[in-house]
Amino acid sequence: MEAPPVTMMPVTGGTINMMEYLLQGSVLDHSLESLIHRLRGLCDNMEPETFLDHEMVFLLKGQQASPFVLRARRSMDRAGAPWHLRYLGQPEMGDKNRHALVRNCVDIATSENLTDFLMEMGFRMDHEFVAKGHLFRKGIMKIMVYKIFRILVPGNTDSTEALSLSYLVELSVVAPAGQDMVSDDMRNFAEQLKPLVHLEKIDPKRLM
Amino acid sequence: MQSFIWVTDLFLLVQREEKQLEASLDALLSQVADLKNSLGSFIYKLENEYDRLTWPSVLDSFALLSGQLNTLNKVLKHEKTPLFRNQVIIPLVLSPDRDEDLMRQTEGRVPVFSHEVVPDHLRTKPDPEVEEQEKQLTTDAARIGADAAQKQIQSLNKMCSNLLEKISKEERESESGGLRPNKQTFNPTDTNALVAAVAFGKGLSNWRPSGSSGPGQPGQPGAGTILAGTSGLQQVQMAGAPSQQQPMLSGVQMAPAGQPGKMPSGIKTNIKSASMHPYQR
Repeated sequence: MEAPPVTMMPVTGGTINMMEYLLQGSVLDHSLESLIHRLRGLCDNMEPETFLDHEMVFLLKGQQASPFVLRARRSMDRAGAPWHLRYLGQPEMGDKNRHALVRNCVDIATSENLTDFLMEMGFRMDHEFVAKGHLFRKGIMKIMVYKIFRILVPGNTDSTEALSLSYLVELSVVAPAGQDMVSDDMRNFAEQLKPLVHLEKIDPKRLM
Repeated sequence: MQSFIWVTDLFLLVQREEKQLEASLDALLSQVADLKNSLGSFIYKLENEYDRLTWPSVLDSFALLSGQLNTLNKVLKHEKTPLFRNQVIIPLVLSPDRDEDLMRQTEGRVPVFSHEVVPDHLRTKPDPEVEEQEKQLTTDAARIGADAAQKQIQSLNKMCSNLLEKISKEERESESGGLRPNKQTFNPTDTNALVAAVAFGKGLSNWRPSGSSGPGQPGQPGAGTILAGTSGLQQVQMAGAPSQQQPMLSGVQMAPAGQPGKMPSGIKTNIKSASMHPYQR
């Protein structure tokens, strides 16, 4: 079922459609330090924030070919933090001039029994990984530099191995639908990180 | 009468030639003076500033000298220049006394026009050793033959152009990459791998191809949740059949059972249809 682009849908039910604007790139391990220094200089002045998250991706398979995907994320180093449930829609492929990947985004904070709830609903876990890295902020932009670890024994987050020798760098903004000037700001910020990192919009369908 | 005209013609010709000679001599003189000056400054630079000298500066001096020699050659080859080879210089008077005029003209370098000075300054042939070497070279060149010589010239030209090309390419490439260290700071293949991993789990813990149609095998963690292989709607329709062991069977049973409408993919609508038709066959 092809939904019309979310930016055209009216605001109903009291919620505004939030869109996630995304630019991605990567940096090799040995250049991580220089990237962190540059980001500390460019971004808002805060204590450097690190995170260790465990993300599980759940699928609900229906009659349609494309299953419904939900992402559940929990923090492994912050006790008491709520779980984070996220829905990400298909990237909108309209405007070639738009510099960032745009997709519909719904974020919900939940309690700890999220996985049980999803299982009861009919979801099944497709894959999981551990993300460990740094978080920076600049205004409404969020920059995450993290390493993805593959979980060797399902369910056991202690036995992990790194997926590659690079850190993934993501520049994202969650903003109401229709604010395309956000992508210009993102592109200007991405220019400042060159030539260390090349942030660009990467279409995941191309990599399937 | 004829002879008179012929004599005047000859006279005019000689005059013209004299004028040409004088003009070309003047040009030659100025060129040689320039060359002398640049040579002098280069020698000074080498002698006095040798500890501060850089290779580009030396190259500049050489380039200047080469340019001046070039213009000198052009002046000599100029069509208006008479063949100096045809002129002969004969010393008329040799005296061991100082000659002020000569001193002035040569800027103090030749004070006396005597028999020591004349052989060096009026020399037309090169040194005997140099003459020998030149003769040797000419005989060698003649011995090779025209074709082989041409081939050698061509190969030399080709090698020079190859070298020039390599140098210019290296310069271009190093200019862009010389500002940052040689190592790459990111790897595009890694970028793609990481994005694929985050987007749909490529390379992560599951080896099942993602997006396969139909209910898959229950090889998932949390064996107790095999129940999840079916939806609430199905379970109800199968009226208590043990759905745990046969998720495939349930899939087959589902299709012909004819649910009320298609199974939509949104959560909200799922709940809606379940609540509307809880126990319908």
